[in-house]
Amino acid sequence: MANVLIVDDSSTMRKIISRSLRQAGLAVDDIFEAGDGIEGLNSLTGNKVDLILSDINMPNMDGLEFIKQVRANGNKVPIVMITTEGGEDILREAMNNGASDSIKKPFTPEQLNEKLGGLL
Amino acid sequence: MTLNMAVSQSANLQEEDLRGYVIHATKEVFGTMVMMDVQDCFPLREPVTKFQCSITGMVGLAGTYTGILSIHCPRPLALCITSNMLGMVVDEVGEDVNDALGEIANMLGGYVKQVLSKGGLDISLSIPTVISGEEYTINAMTDSDCVIIPFTHENDRFLVGLKLSKEN
Repeated sequence: MANVLIVDDSSTMRKIISRSLRQAGLAVDDIFEAGDGIEGLNSLTGNKVDLILSDINMPNMDGLEFIKQVRANGNKVPIVMITTEGGEDILREAMNNGASDSIKKPFTPEQLNEKLGGLL
Repeated sequence: MTLNMAVSQSANLQEEDLRGYVIHATKEVFGTMVMMDVQDCFPLREPVTKFQCSITGMVGLAGTYTGILSIHCPRPLALCITSNMLGMVVDEVGEDVNDALGEIANMLGGYVKQVLSKGGLDISLSIPTVISGEEYTINAMTDSDCVIIPFTHENDRFLVGLKLSKEN
């Protein structure tokens, strides 16, 4: 079973993602939540996290900076962007910063399962 | 209400195309994340500025194009939308409802951005803003909305509006 960190400024979206992970039947144990990149970095301190699901467009510290900071700290945990952003350049920047994959909002539990099944 | 000529020429989009994208995006967001089938109605000819007992979610676009994507919902429908999204009964307007309407505006704005943007870095989406109240007025400081589409769900109706202009 894996621990997942969800980083999204929308509490509604965090709940939807959390519920979708369970509905998709993925092997998820604890789910941690953070409202922006700064809270996300704090959540990684002291918690064992096996997968990060992060939005891009967030206040205080956006998803692109967040993943850069995670990698700068030497953390190799898989990071999947879950975002309304679908542009090639911005997703390429996310990949260059260390993201493993991306999922476009809106999404279905089946799409989550398809993308995340191999990571959990 | 017509699509700004500069936007139309630059993005190679007709007003009908943009309207189609907004309708498709709204139906997909509601079908996938809200678990609600919604029907589009004929676009309005005049912008709506006065709202009663409603909630408005908005995101701004800035960059090559600037604009605002907005969704305007009567309170009972906003409660129903939030309840569906969260999978629990929400019976009063508060943080959950504001967050849900803001996130819907964000997803719709993401669609519009994808249609207009070349790669995703030339247009930025703002963090959503939500307005609610017994009675409020929203005035744009420039010309009227280019697209405003009513949608229905059972006996409820809500509006999705998109206002766009091209930056020089």
